[in-house]
Amino acid sequence: MKPAKFAAKVMSVVMLCGIVFSQESGSSQGRGYVEFDPLDTVSVTPGQTKPVQFTFHVKNGYHINSNKPTTEELIPTTLGFTPPPDLVIAKVQYPPGQLTSFPFDPTQKLSVYSGDVIIKAAIIPQPHAPSGTYTVHGEFRYQACDNNACYPPKKLPVQFDLKVAKAKKSRPRPTRQSPNIH
Amino acid sequence: MKNSVIFVGVVIVVVTGLLFLGKSFTSHQGQVASANGNGDEDRFNGKPAPDFDLKVLDGRGKTLKLSDLKGKAVVVNFWATWCEPCKIEMPWLVDFQKKYGGQGLQIVGISMEDTDEKTISDFAHKMGVNYPILIGTEKVADLYGGIDGMPTLFFVDRSGRIVEHELGLRGMDILEANIKKSMNSTESAKAQ
Repeated sequence: MKPAKFAAKVMSVVMLCGIVFSQESGSSQGRGYVEFDPLDTVSVTPGQTKPVQFTFHVKNGYHINSNKPTTEELIPTTLGFTPPPDLVIAKVQYPPGQLTSFPFDPTQKLSVYSGDVIIKAAIIPQPHAPSGTYTVHGEFRYQACDNNACYPPKKLPVQFDLKVAKAKKSRPRPTRQSPNIH
Repeated sequence: MKNSVIFVGVVIVVVTGLLFLGKSFTSHQGQVASANGNGDEDRFNGKPAPDFDLKVLDGRGKTLKLSDLKGKAVVVNFWATWCEPCKIEMPWLVDFQKKYGGQGLQIVGISMEDTDEKTISDFAHKMGVNYPILIGTEKVADLYGGIDGMPTLFFVDRSGRIVEHELGLRGMDILEANIKKSMNSTESAKAQ
């Protein structure tokens, strides 16, 4: 093998490994405690409600408050969106919290999420929503703790693509003929 | 050609293996540091506690400087109302303030949250807090290493040096031992 060709091959292999590694280590940076499971493009038809679910994963060893924490001081987990005009995201349904006691206070049970958290919602494109593909942006707000400490509230950006199909043309209703007309 | 393929394969395996070994090692180190609660004691212990000048909760505009407390052993407690472990720890701090206040201990709570002051004040009253609560700032948090988690406590001796710090809820006995250390350190004795 020629030295130049050989060096180029080695360099490309090392660079490839470097890219893989930087992506791997990058995913664990930023002190986030929750990850969003990306959503495939959601297809909707104007005027029709489309159920959708968002999956989040709370990292091992951590928990976050549920949407309805047991005390008023605790920060609830919420998911909010700023959808494009003519699209509504409604009926956000949070899972019930797991009532869990922790080593820092075995006498008290807190309503928390750990592991996978699935939040359901409904996408309602208005009947006049123009067709096309939109990116919907949202925010998952949470506050995480482990068995000994709690961490400042975080906002996890959430986004997914939404494809709005062309509205079905409403067929004009056949006008009934008067039975009296012959 | 065959040799070149084998060689490239070997390089991929070796480089990837080394990178992942390195990553798992650093990750393991991080876990140890986190489990101890003060894995970076060299960064703080023995160093002068950074001075601050923060607004006192319910203090009618008054501020408190850490340097004003020189000569006292000080526990600087970073906390928040949404932090359940902080809530567990507060009554212990109240007890320590009662027990050691006469011997020159001063506990100082620094609230690290965006909540309005009334909420913090109501919470502190409910918890029977008998030491000053200050309104924290990001700048002060940065001086103390960023305050990633709460509760975080710094035990400062009478000369103003950090003798211990703890991240997360520790046992009451550990806190008491650290308080005694801050009151009785050699530097503390000189400062008295």
